[in-house]
Amino acid sequence: MIAKVHCFALNGLEGVPVEVETDINRGLPSYDMVGLPDAAVKESKERVRSALKNSGFTFPLYKITVNFAPADIRKEGASFDLAVAVSLLKATDQLSGAETDDLVFLGELGLNGELRPVNGLLPIMISAKGAGFTKFIIPADNAKEARFLEGTEIYPAENLTKVCAHLLGFTPIPKLETVGYMIASGNHYAADLQFVKGQPIARRALEISAAGGHNLLMVGPPGTGKTMLARCIPTILPDLTFEEALEITKIHSVAGILGQEGIVTERPFRTPHHTASTVSLCGGGNRVVHPGEISLAHGGVLFLDELPEYKRSSLEALRQPLEDGCISVSRAAGTVTYPSRFILCASMNPCPCGNYGSKKLTCSCSPAEIRRYRKKVSGPLLDRIDLQVEVDNLDYDDIVTERGSEPSSAVKVRVNRARDVQRARFKDTGLNTNAEMGEREIGKFCKLDGECEEILGEAFERLSLSARARARIIKVARTIADLDGKQSIEPKHIYEAVSYRLQERL
Amino acid sequence: MQYTKDEEALIWLTLCSGLDFRESERMLSLVPSPHMLFEQFEELVPRAVPQERRAVLQKSNLAQRNTELSNALSRMEKKNYFAVTRVTEDYPEQLAAIDTPPLVLFGAGNRALLKEKIFCIVGSRRTPPQAMKYGEKFAEELSDYFAIVTGLAEGGDLSALQGALKKKRAICVLPCGLNECYPAAHSDFKEKVKKDGLLLSESLDDKTRQYSFYARNRILAGISLGTLILSAGERSGTLITANACLNYGRELFAIPYDLSVPQGRGCNLLIQQGAYLCLGSENILNNFGIFMKEKPTLPELTKEEKEILTTLADGEELHASVIAQRAKIEIFEAFAILAKLEMKQVVVKTGGNCYKIIG
Repeated sequence: MIAKVHCFALNGLEGVPVEVETDINRGLPSYDMVGLPDAAVKESKERVRSALKNSGFTFPLYKITVNFAPADIRKEGASFDLAVAVSLLKATDQLSGAETDDLVFLGELGLNGELRPVNGLLPIMISAKGAGFTKFIIPADNAKEARFLEGTEIYPAENLTKVCAHLLGFTPIPKLETVGYMIASGNHYAADLQFVKGQPIARRALEISAAGGHNLLMVGPPGTGKTMLARCIPTILPDLTFEEALEITKIHSVAGILGQEGIVTERPFRTPHHTASTVSLCGGGNRVVHPGEISLAHGGVLFLDELPEYKRSSLEALRQPLEDGCISVSRAAGTVTYPSRFILCASMNPCPCGNYGSKKLTCSCSPAEIRRYRKKVSGPLLDRIDLQVEVDNLDYDDIVTERGSEPSSAVKVRVNRARDVQRARFKDTGLNTNAEMGEREIGKFCKLDGECEEILGEAFERLSLSARARARIIKVARTIADLDGKQSIEPKHIYEAVSYRLQERL
Repeated sequence: MQYTKDEEALIWLTLCSGLDFRESERMLSLVPSPHMLFEQFEELVPRAVPQERRAVLQKSNLAQRNTELSNALSRMEKKNYFAVTRVTEDYPEQLAAIDTPPLVLFGAGNRALLKEKIFCIVGSRRTPPQAMKYGEKFAEELSDYFAIVTGLAEGGDLSALQGALKKKRAICVLPCGLNECYPAAHSDFKEKVKKDGLLLSESLDDKTRQYSFYARNRILAGISLGTLILSAGERSGTLITANACLNYGRELFAIPYDLSVPQGRGCNLLIQQGAYLCLGSENILNNFGIFMKEKPTLPELTKEEKEILTTLADGEELHASVIAQRAKIEIFEAFAILAKLEMKQVVVKTGGNCYKIIG
């Protein structure tokens, strides 16, 4: 007889419904799988065989055919194990009377029959819910991730025996209690601005960056705290909303880096090493497209330490996602779009030896060396970095103004206020921050008076800015005005925004 | 462009003959006019060229020389270059007076600048930012009375070039041929000079060699009435220009430096040895008997801007946070005002978020 069980495959951040069909025939005992399974799915044969045996069931000695429908999508990963096992049991009448039509089975089997967690559970369940499925049997270890999904019946199980006992109605598994999303209160990050000494200018840049979602470049000699400053950005960013958290969780779930929490509660802070390849940054993979670092940093910060050391091609690949906030990765198997709206925070030394511009130490680099070093970061990429600041030498540590050692929580209050202003402004436009504005929005929300236009014109000439740089200066000025609580952009805001463009003078 | 027979001979001698400078000079001394050299070249070869190089050169004949010359001229014509030879009427008088004046100067751009009084401003490639601002300012101010000659390298040369370009009075002498650009990164400036100023070189296609800078610096010093050294380390190439300037008996100026600044060591040494100390462009002008017509007026400043300026008034280099503290305003406000002042060319950012007044 034929048994059908529902399962889901993952394509990017979307779950695709898959039916697992098992047919038992008389004939020489064999066990075949059809329907484009990849290696990990094919291996489930052996796992299922052992799991059945060790859970007290018999593995049928018949000619067995397992089909994954639709047959034209490649199935990868081990999350089909449970569905295959259940359909086998049904086909051989070992689960007679069990109702499985409205259930979705997800999970990897161990040889002893235990259920192991799978990657991408949350995006699958969200898609399944959209497709009309509300009942799920999932591995107990995935329960934390699943409990935020409301309006569903979720049964977390430790092993195959418990699943079958539940299906047969002997010992029903208690339904998973869904919980609302809680924002972790207080600063749960290791870094905090109050531990950063001095650096008033970099602090200000951090604040503007967080308030408007602007990209940031810190230039300074080694050992001046650039990394420490960067780590503080998530601490002053507004708390995640449930929708944001869910979106980030989906990506992290697909990548299999979801922590114990089950849902992402902190803004991600990703620091890929400078040996990172283009694929690891942008996403990709052999058959299935995995999200890259820029997607994992979605909603948070991507920190590129020592920017010029990155491979040129990797950096150039960031240009389009920086503009669009998403990346479409195309492979033979298909095209997947991952969101990638992050704050790019980069740091670099002013020259190879690091002492250029220092008052105390002399720089030992030749002008050609410095030029070569800076040229590693292309103009178009620098163009996209709105805020470029010099990080002070430690000599200025002792100058701690009152504002100097302010904790992150105090800065966050101002950032939140500026974000509220932006939220009201962008109410029906689908945008969130000033940095996301396009030309149309700039024309609408950033009206400049004659004086401001004049200043911009002058700066344009003096710094030989590109048209993109001009738009970006206006956007930064808008954020500064928001922080200032002003309706319109004033000349001083423009001046401050202009002063954050080092690139043109380097 | 029309050239006289003598001019053509010199152009051919520089571009096509294959003789070096010394051989050319020796050969020219053998004939009453360059034109005769062109006609009797193969006969003169044995008397001016060492034995081992004679064979090839003696094969040259008049017809061949004529084609070579017309090729070279049409090439120059196509690129809009002109040649100023030692016998040309507008060959700079000052340059002719040095011991090894170039036979021909190839140029592109505004030829009229050659007839002006010329002043040279140069600085090393590692000129500190405030000295670059001075270079730009002095060049702009002196442009009213002189054409400013300088190089194309980054640092001091470029700052002077930018200042002079504002008034379209810049002359730039390249260490390489006119078709080349050294440093290549400054090709946009080269184009700008061609458009708004005058570009000079001793050749058309020569690549830059170590000795090219030496040769170029003699032109810089030789063509001008005086030279200002913006910055020079103890062993800086800029000192070549300074030495040449003294050898030719021209006026040498240098700006003074703090003892701790290595890029200013050379300048201080020059002053110690008797170069004029330059504190402003009027120092230079007075030396040539020129008095500035009007003091450049400070741009209009607001109350806040003046307050910021007072903190910087004694010429000290200050960090933005110190300025903010002294002016009793928030650091980011100070940052905005400083950016404003920077655009008005009153202060200069010296790196590491420090600022200094331009006095």
